[in-house]
Order: sequence, then structure tokens, then C-alpha cells
Amino acid sequence: MRKIRRAMRIHRIFIAQELKRMMEYKGDFIVGVIGFLLVQCSNLLFLWLIFANIPSLMGWSLDQIVFIYGFSLIPKGIDHLFFDNLWNIGYFIVRKGDFDKYLTRPVNTLFHVLVEKIQIDALGELIVGIALVCVTLPRLGVEWSVLKVLLAVLVIPFATLIYTGIKTVTASVAFWTKRSGSVIYMFYMVNDFAKYPAAIYNEVVKNIITYIVPFALTAYYPALYILTGENPLFNIGMTVLAAAVLMTLGVIVWHRGIRAYESAGS
Amino acid sequence: MIKVENLRKEFKKTIKEPGLKGSFKSLFRPKSEKVVAVNDISFDVPKGEILGFIGPNGAGKSTVIKMLTGILTPTSGRCTINGKNPTVNRKSYVKEIGVVFGQRTQLWWDLPLRETYGVLKEIYEVPEDSFKKRMAFLNEVLELDSFITSPVRTLSLGQRMRADIAASMLHSPKVLFLDEPTIGLDVVVKDNIRSAIEQINRQEQTTVILTTHDLADIELLSDRIVMIDKGSKVFDGSVSSLKDKYGQIREMKFETDSKNASERLGYAEKFGFGEDDLSVEQEGALVTVRFNSSVAPISDVLGYTLQRVNVSDINVKDADIEEIIRRLYKQGVEE
Repeated sequence: MRKIRRAMRIHRIFIAQELKRMMEYKGDFIVGVIGFLLVQCSNLLFLWLIFANIPSLMGWSLDQIVFIYGFSLIPKGIDHLFFDNLWNIGYFIVRKGDFDKYLTRPVNTLFHVLVEKIQIDALGELIVGIALVCVTLPRLGVEWSVLKVLLAVLVIPFATLIYTGIKTVTASVAFWTKRSGSVIYMFYMVNDFAKYPAAIYNEVVKNIITYIVPFALTAYYPALYILTGENPLFNIGMTVLAAAVLMTLGVIVWHRGIRAYESAGS
Repeated sequence: MIKVENLRKEFKKTIKEPGLKGSFKSLFRPKSEKVVAVNDISFDVPKGEILGFIGPNGAGKSTVIKMLTGILTPTSGRCTINGKNPTVNRKSYVKEIGVVFGQRTQLWWDLPLRETYGVLKEIYEVPEDSFKKRMAFLNEVLELDSFITSPVRTLSLGQRMRADIAASMLHSPKVLFLDEPTIGLDVVVKDNIRSAIEQINRQEQTTVILTTHDLADIELLSDRIVMIDKGSKVFDGSVSSLKDKYGQIREMKFETDSKNASERLGYAEKFGFGEDDLSVEQEGALVTVRFNSSVAPISDVLGYTLQRVNVSDINVKDADIEEIIRRLYKQGVEE
């Protein structure tokens, strides 16, 4: 309990530092916000152009597709907002020897790296995702129960951890190869498949995004349960299981990696 | 207090042939070899000692320090501080140590310096009242007051170094690792940093492990020197014992009106100095002779010099540590 309180406290302090850092460069911050709003507008326009031309897709109605799309952006956005620093492990931190800093502090290194930075751009995904879900959900005629509400909310942090877990495993590769940015990128980009109903893909792709790089578990399957109420054991349970497996794997590979870490000459 | 036992570190190094072709080759068929960076190093450091840890570039100094600070995992052997081992419990180990790498900083670059201390206070769980006392002490020793509200990116190198030392001392560590703490600093700032280190050591009995290429740091601060070369320990003892052991070199300086004093004097033939035992330089009227006093006694060399050339001013200096180390780095240590 004390450990969790301490972790939350440190997390809060790092976020405060990040916000102060953004305020330190006010011009950059304002331009960033304007740019971010423009990007989101163009994203929405693009979505509208696509979906306006597909009334339905293999039995999926437009509203259902947009709901899955929007739902997929929520865990993606949360991971992007809070745990984006893993990319820097893959690209710079290990290669330049800057990882030394984390090892000399009495804080779990993975936790320290995860919570050190926040990525404000991610708010775009989050806002768009929540907006799409809010617009489509009332039109889908979903039957709600207490259990369903509970599971629908509960599944989001686990779906988020699927992202974080995959990034942790692939970022850790850098401890051996010094640089793993492209590895993270390759796996991360698989999430593009997860924005659409997995049922539209052929078996190979479907199996990959369900069992190997399981991004379909971050959106399609939970959404399926919310829409139909079918098979919560698989549709929600698999998400929880995958998150647990990937995070465990991430932690193991990370700590193995630290033993192989070679720093950089100085 | 610090116990280093048979520490060894091997790295795997990929051998690449030059050019793009070589890079492709090593991508598909990597060849690697084992490089031993640190080979079986052992030493103890008692509480309150300032240990100078020296060695030429590439000798393995940084690798040893990085193992002692829990950054690198030793291939074999171990180091412990009060029985705590970084490979067993890193978090409790690093609470005992403070680390300053002169070429890096752990300060929050974009924020006022004060913010860094606020965060470190939380990271190291320093209670509020001891934090206040601590800041007052560090302020007094390192004079942070004048720039504590400035963003770190605007600090001068000397200010940054003081700030970094303060950051590493905030949690009152028992051992302070300083890697090149005076690198790139001017003489006055160097003096400030040195006296701060001395004060911290004296007042708090903090054990200090100091790596540096500036031997004045060592001479002014260290009680003891450990020197490594090519991954092995080559010397371990006090500064004065280093002088006794290798310090037979004396430096004699004199002024003369003779244009080619070194030829006229011919020390090598006269006293039978070997190549490493003697160097003679002449700059205008000033001649500097460094010679090994175990080959020829000072009085003989002095008398001979006065006899042969017209000398207007002369002095003979004790071996200084820089000269000793220069010779040791150049030729390695023969046991």
C-alpha cells in the first residue's frame, strides 16, 4: 500500500514537472496547441470522408465501425499520453548512455522511465476517441447492465497496458542492440489494423492481431462485447489476460536487458 | 566500508570491416570478440577516506566506477557498501551513494534549479525538515543561492557542477562518487569545488571516490591512490608512497647564456642515463632537466652542471606527482 502511494506521488510530481516545463516555453506551447487542434480537425475530416462512403462493411454498420474506431483511440491515447517515453529508450536513452541516471536512483527503472514524460499531443486521440464513442453509442441501441458498464470501464486500463506492454518488450531490445526504435515502430504500427472490426480481415491477419500482437483485444473484442453482450469471458477476459502476459513479459525482458546494458564511454 | 572483490567485466565487441560493405557483412554474419575491460580488481575503502581513482584514458576507470554505482553488472566478482550489493538490491544500494558524472547532468534542464531539488527530495524520500537543513548546509558549502531560481540551461559550467554535486548529496549518502568533477573549469572554480569536496568529507565523514585527469585534484584531496591500467590494478597506496616508489625523478631548472647547453653538458654519456631517465629541454635561456636521481645523485648532477656552463639561476624540485604519473602512463608499470 505504501509502495503504491509512493508511486502515485512520484507520478504526480513528474507530471507537474512536465507541465511546468511546457509553461517554461510559452510560445512553443501555444503554437503546439494550435497545431494540435489543426491536426485533429483534419483527422476528423479524413474520417468523415472515408466513412461517408461506406454505409456498411461486411455486415457492420457505419455506426458500429465508427464506435470501434473511436473505442480503439481511447487506450491508445492513454498509453500515448502517459507512457510515451519508451520510444526514447529505443531511439536515444540507451544508445547515448543516458540510462545511467535511472540506475543510480532508488526508484524502479521501468516505472521511472514510464512516468517521466507526458505527451500532450495524445489528448487529440483521446478527445476524438471519446467524442466518436459518445456520438455513436446512443444510436447503437446497446442494452446496458451494471456488469456491462463495469466491464466496459474496467477493460480500458488493461487495453492500455497491451500497448504499454508491447512497447516495453520492444523497447527493451535496445539494451542488447543499443537502438530499437524501428522494432517498436514495426510492432506499434500493427495497431492500425485494430481500428476496424477484426472480422473483415482474413484468418492470418485476424489471428496475428488477436494472439500474437494482440491489438484487436484493445478495441474490436471489447467493443463486440459492449455491442452484443456475447461471450464476456473471451471478449473481455482475453484482454485482461493479454495485458497481464505482455506486461509480465515486458518487466522480465526489461530487467534482463538492464543486466546487458553497457552504458556509453565517458 | 566499500569492498571490491575480484571485479571483472567483459564486453562483446562486434568486429566490423570498414565501409558500407563491411557494415552489411557484419549485419548478416556478425563476428565478435571478447574484450576484457576490467580484470580482477580488488580494493577496500574505509569510511571517510578520499580515494583518488586514476588511470589513462581507456584503462577501464569508467567501467569500474559504473560497476560500483550499480550501472553495469559485473561479469564476475562483486562490490559491496556496508554489505549491500547493487546486483542483489539496487534500490537500497543507491540510497547509500551519490553520483556525479562531470560530463552529464541529472538536473532538470528546462526548469529552475530549485525544482530539481524538490523532485529529488521525493525520489529519495527526504523528510521536509531534514531537507531544509540539508539545503542550508549545501547552500553554505556550494553557494547555490545566487542561481537557485535560474533555469538549469542558463547556468555556467561551474555553477552546474556545484548544483550537480548538491543534487547528489541531498539524501546524505555515505559514499560520493565524483567522475571528473573539475573537467573544463577555470582555476578559481576548481579551487571552490575542491574545498567544497573537502568540507563535505570533513564535516560528514563522507567517503569520496574521485576519478580525475587533473592530478592537482588528487594531490590536494586524496589520502590514497588506486591506479589502474589496461583493466588491472597497478598501484594502490598513499600519494607519498607513490612518490617514494616511482618518484626518483627530479626536475632541475637553470638559466644560462649558453645557446646549446644540452649538447655541451652531455648528461647521458657522463652519468649513463637511459632513455627514460633523462629529458633536457631548452627554451631561450631557461633549461629544464628531468633526471632519475637513483642513477646519479642530485649533488653530482648539480656540481657537474655548475662546472660546465655559466649558470645565473638554478633550482631543483622534488618529484611532482604529475611527472610520476606521466611516466607511468607512458611506459606502464613494471613490477
